[in-house]
Amino acid sequence: MATPALIALLFAACAAGILLCLAVRPAQQGTVLAWTGCVAALAATAAGAAVLLSGEGFTRVLWSLPGLTTLTLRLDSLSAVFVLVTGLVLFPASIYAAGELRGESLRGRERAFTVMLLALYASIVLILIAGDALLFLLAWEVMSILCYLLVLSGRDEENGRQIGSGYLLLAMGEAGTLAAALGFLLLALDAKSVEFGALRSAATGLGANARWAVFLLTFFGFGVKAGLVPVNSWLQRAYAAAPRAFAPVLAGATLNLGLYGILRVNADLLPAAHASTGLVALVVGTVSALIGILYATTDNDLKAMLAHSSIENVGIVVAGSGAGMVFHAAHLPALTTIAFVASLYHLLNHSLYKTLLFVGVGAVETRTGTRDMDRLGGLIKAMPLAALAFLAGSLSIAGLPPFNGFVSEWLTLQTMLRAAELSSTGAKIVFALCGAGLALTAALAVTCFVKVFAMSFLGMRRLDEERRVSEAGPGALAAMGILAVLCLASGVLPTYVIPMLDPASTQLAGASASDVLVPAFFASSPAHASLPPMFAAEFHDLGAQVGQDVLPGRGLVVLHRGGEANPVVFAMSSSYMAVALIALLALTYVVLRLWLTRGRRLSRRERWDGGLRSLLPEMTYTATGFSNPVRVIFDAIFRPTTVEDTRETVAEHFRNAIRREKEHVHLVDRVVFQPVRSTALIFARILAAMHHGRINAYVTYAFLALLIVFALLPTS
Amino acid sequence: MSQWVVKGIRTGIKTTAYPREAESASGVTPGLPVGADLGAQAAALTERCPTHALEQTDGRISVDYRRCVHCFRCARGAARPLAWQPGYEWAGSHGESGLRDGFGGAFRRSIHIIVVDAGDCGACLNEVKQLNNPYYNMHRLGFFITPTPRHADVLLVVGPVTDHMRVALKKVYDAMPTPKRVVAAGACALSGGVFAESFVCAKGVGEVLPVDVEVPGNPPPPLAILHGLLVAVGRRPPVALVSGPSGPRR
Amino acid sequence: MDCAQLKDLIETAWPGLAHCRFDAAGRVNEVKCERSALAELCSRLFHEWGFGFAGLVVEEGAEAWHLRYVFYGERDAGWAHVLTEAPLADRIFPSIAVGSKIFAADWHEREAEDLFGVHFAGHPRLGDFVLHDDAWQENVEPMRRGFDAAAAMHNRLPDADWRPRRVVRESGAFVMPVGPKFSGVTESVHFQLETVGEDVIRSWTRLFYKWRAVEKLAESKSPDGALLLAERFAATTAFAHGLAFCQAVEAIGGASVPPRARLLRVFLAELERLRQHAGAIQEICESTALVVANSQAGLLEEDLLRVSGELTGHRYLFGMLAPGGLLGDLPTEACRKAFRDAKDAVSGLDDLERRLTVSSSFLDRIEEVGIIWLKTARAYSLVGPVARASGLARDLRRAQPYSGYESFEFDVPVEEEGDGYARLRVLFAEARQSLRIMEQAAAALKGGDVYEPVNLRAGATLGWAEAPRGATFHWVRLDDGGRIARYRIVTPSFANWHSFHLGAEKFAFQDFPIILSTFDLSAAENDR
Repeated sequence: MATPALIALLFAACAAGILLCLAVRPAQQGTVLAWTGCVAALAATAAGAAVLLSGEGFTRVLWSLPGLTTLTLRLDSLSAVFVLVTGLVLFPASIYAAGELRGESLRGRERAFTVMLLALYASIVLILIAGDALLFLLAWEVMSILCYLLVLSGRDEENGRQIGSGYLLLAMGEAGTLAAALGFLLLALDAKSVEFGALRSAATGLGANARWAVFLLTFFGFGVKAGLVPVNSWLQRAYAAAPRAFAPVLAGATLNLGLYGILRVNADLLPAAHASTGLVALVVGTVSALIGILYATTDNDLKAMLAHSSIENVGIVVAGSGAGMVFHAAHLPALTTIAFVASLYHLLNHSLYKTLLFVGVGAVETRTGTRDMDRLGGLIKAMPLAALAFLAGSLSIAGLPPFNGFVSEWLTLQTMLRAAELSSTGAKIVFALCGAGLALTAALAVTCFVKVFAMSFLGMRRLDEERRVSEAGPGALAAMGILAVLCLASGVLPTYVIPMLDPASTQLAGASASDVLVPAFFASSPAHASLPPMFAAEFHDLGAQVGQDVLPGRGLVVLHRGGEANPVVFAMSSSYMAVALIALLALTYVVLRLWLTRGRRLSRRERWDGGLRSLLPEMTYTATGFSNPVRVIFDAIFRPTTVEDTRETVAEHFRNAIRREKEHVHLVDRVVFQPVRSTALIFARILAAMHHGRINAYVTYAFLALLIVFALLPTS
Repeated sequence: MSQWVVKGIRTGIKTTAYPREAESASGVTPGLPVGADLGAQAAALTERCPTHALEQTDGRISVDYRRCVHCFRCARGAARPLAWQPGYEWAGSHGESGLRDGFGGAFRRSIHIIVVDAGDCGACLNEVKQLNNPYYNMHRLGFFITPTPRHADVLLVVGPVTDHMRVALKKVYDAMPTPKRVVAAGACALSGGVFAESFVCAKGVGEVLPVDVEVPGNPPPPLAILHGLLVAVGRRPPVALVSGPSGPRR
Repeated sequence: MDCAQLKDLIETAWPGLAHCRFDAAGRVNEVKCERSALAELCSRLFHEWGFGFAGLVVEEGAEAWHLRYVFYGERDAGWAHVLTEAPLADRIFPSIAVGSKIFAADWHEREAEDLFGVHFAGHPRLGDFVLHDDAWQENVEPMRRGFDAAAAMHNRLPDADWRPRRVVRESGAFVMPVGPKFSGVTESVHFQLETVGEDVIRSWTRLFYKWRAVEKLAESKSPDGALLLAERFAATTAFAHGLAFCQAVEAIGGASVPPRARLLRVFLAELERLRQHAGAIQEICESTALVVANSQAGLLEEDLLRVSGELTGHRYLFGMLAPGGLLGDLPTEACRKAFRDAKDAVSGLDDLERRLTVSSSFLDRIEEVGIIWLKTARAYSLVGPVARASGLARDLRRAQPYSGYESFEFDVPVEEEGDGYARLRVLFAEARQSLRIMEQAAAALKGGDVYEPVNLRAGATLGWAEAPRGATFHWVRLDDGGRIARYRIVTPSFANWHSFHLGAEKFAFQDFPIILSTFDLSAAENDR
């Protein structure tokens, strides 16, 4: 089907859904949402895939406003990647949201929710296929407001906190939009129109200061939506406050829009001429990643933890993009394309596993009534399938093979190592430090998700005895299952994903990622001796020729071709890893069960607890206890303040209670926003001095203002 | 830190040659009384024993080692005292069937022991602790102590099994994988010792668990416990737990 | 404070409520006191006049409860026994743990409530002490006359929903259970460490897993039979407990122990102290995993065990004591040889101490760890090396000499810091002093009997000894037939276990076994 038709189908599905919504009863809203949402998502996936596979996008003029501008639609490779990812995410998310509509948090508001959600789908795709700045910003505003409304639509969260989070989302979102709009404006100063093509050609003539201004404005402006430090304060609050049905979409689809904005402006429209912008992006990305994962590891609320983890993953994507920008400025197209492919791959992966995890958390919260890891535990017995899918998500986000997180993190780290080919020492040092920072992040991510999975699903059940916990609902299970399979697939088959993402990175870098990372098979005949023999030999040894006649595509090994001295710079095959893992597990099972212990009875005994009469749930590690070492080591970042530390005793000897409570303010809030807030309040107080209610003074102000205006008015 | 290395080397080898040779140093064992024919004074002597370890038939005294609490009343202050033997190889096997099957060859020179204190007075536990000092060094015989029952092959119990420790002791036993053996060491663990009549003590480990090897003594000296472990793994034959002219007695 | 003055002080302060009887020979002030004045009187004795709290003896009379609070002071202050009574039906007494803030009495009152059913008003933690609530229901009262053990065991109602008391109210706090079976070769004790993951915020000890009801078992036994129990309930310090018991029986019967027996008793008691201290030092070295030091200390402990075994026939000195002297004589030459062997061992200990003092990795683990302050030691009436390491210089051999200790020259080492290292230093120093006493005893041995039979008649008195772990008090009452009517044992571990949790708190998990080893506590001694 032709791509424009698919896009039209998408919008039609959304419109149909909205209309149907208004017509049917509340009980059937779920069905409407599921069907239309899925159709829209599938259309998006197909459209994105079609563009990427064929390599051709499309451009359409949507509406021509005479005298002002034309609103254009453009679906090129970069947009197509995002559209594809969005489609992949929205499909299971719709199924899950449909199931959740019957839940407590949205009862009575199903209609509003469905309408807003479908409108959001449309606005997201509109942003991605906008071909000019005006349509882009219009769609962005609609999307922002819809996000705000959707965050406030649920009943899960305590009212005050929800309103506060929503307000912060809106306020910071608008500030970001304003900054981005300013950026576009600067870009459009010398351009003929605000259409992206015109902006791109005008950008080549910008001076250094203007470039920096555009970069900073759009980077941090879109960075608000993406959740970069230091403009991430809204994210952890809003994600935690968002209703269960909406959180997966928020994390899986709208987060990417910020990244899209950054990439569109700073990698496509205004490619970096100097390495410094890229280095700024790299550093900001790494810092975000570190701060994000630190707060994720020490947070006990499942949703807030996932929000912080999103900040971490966005940091990794931005770091990869920053590296790409640096390589681009240094005129190293091969490395540029690897960097961009790595960051796009991570973006895809993050969308998949983050949505999976949010759906999982929503399912857990529905069944158990709590999000606090300290109170959960032992859920694997009650919700085995949900636990399995959640495990897949946890393994993916922790970056363990053969799941997808491993591939993209590995590629990103390998990109950092390629800094050896840069000429500037300063840049190399920055790359080294950021590489180390990302490695630390990866290690902390493992800690974090071991804690999450173990504390929620394993161990002893800590919930009240009376609460009956059953398996997650069919909508949640279906959504999680689809996403888990996609996580595994994109982990085991990177050699098929990279060519899929290739057109986008080619557009940004000018070199093909597939050629660099997934070289084609070659026939072993000397006729194809264009390849250096050492490389050919290594290619063989690494198993990259395997499947030459059988497999479509380019083999199962991701490898980066180097020069004479170093024919293969790096290589990896998660496909082989998966096979090896399965083989090892099978072998272990066979050896253990069918040989070493044959003829022996397997008896199941009670767990050893030191000889106690009964091991109680309070005698097991809590999430706080597990992550306490991290809290202590990074105390300088967390800086907790003691709120309470009292002892209640009888006769100074019998202790009834030791009450201790600590609280901490997020590093970014402490370092950035609290000073800004205090300064603003000081100014406000100074200005408030002017508002004293004396009408004589106000008349004086007006008179002074008029004088100034007349003084500045040019005399014609 | 090198001072420790030098000190260790200078101390030399202090380890006993047992079980290769008998240990002849003094003070390594309190010994046990030997049954004898005492004729008319047998009755009076039998009365002196507070735990009824002495039994006499027609003036011939037999000693049930499982009950001897080393009070020395039969040796000191008695008109006609019993003689005491200075040995330490006292470990016997409980019941007719002897040691349970299943402890194959692999366990002869390598076992992990879990030690459970089921109410002991401290002396038995202290003697068990001495097994790790350089004089006895049970590691050289392949005996290791483990804190977890999951790795343990032999359960060494001391103490008369107080009521509050019953559950814990059973849990340790249940948590051990088969094959496993139980060694009860000390008069309290075999018969309740001086605490046999206490309402919160069992009359020995045998009331709670199936016991394979019994080591008399109050407390059994480290060499006796070592002998008990050797019996448990089959490197030494069990010894009779009763001494005297009369036959074996339950 | 002179014990003679105490009588006047008390009778003027509480006229009509307290009657004091002064026994000059034993330097005991027996104060009969009304329940209403009990808390204040005990408070004055403890806080103002500086007496230590030895223990609470509860006796069930034919018609009334007799409670005896035993206080002891420095030499001249003597003993003060505060007696109070109540009819059997009305068994509520004021709690001096709460009312007089004598923390040391806390566990005595809990034990009395569990075993006798006596209630102490104001005490917030009665119950679940000796008789674990998850094994026994309330109102079992096993120490009472007419207790039917068979019925009690048969009709038990353990509480299946028993939960530990949580004190720490911090989000994310959890309980780390240790034991009763833990580590390698350890006694059965249960600890609950409340924490949020790094340090132990609050530690709670659950003892009496090894409760054998020795006090109940001793009733109706002859002193000879009860002596077996006294020696064997905490056999690592068998001689000291046996000695305290024998001295009580001898005091009731008015017997005088022959001089040779007294000297030999001192010799053997100090040999036992030396051996037990070597064992404690070995435990400390083992807990810090300093392997060579552990081996060296182990060698020395075994050497001393062998010396004991060679001299007396038993490594733990069983079967030497009898009420009235010793069960059998020891040749003087054997004693002198034992002294020489002990001297070799002590020079080994000195060498070990020198080496440990320069091992900084070892010192790091026991210095400034597990601190017990002087005011805590005083409030809990701690005893033994633990108390002396915190600056509380109390030693019964000095304060209330027995068995001829007044004629020996020796120092009582005291340290101030109260941490693990201070306790270790005290152990080493006391070992040297023990050797000094052994030398004097061995040199002073002359010929003579070692046994003088005791006239067993009705009576009750306190026997005491400075056991290796601290002061131990044995209250013995004999009935008309000369059999035990009541036997109350207050052990040094009972006093010191009480304060252990304070030493363990605020330190990391890894320090816990080390702190435990520096206290040299015995669960068998505490639980009886």
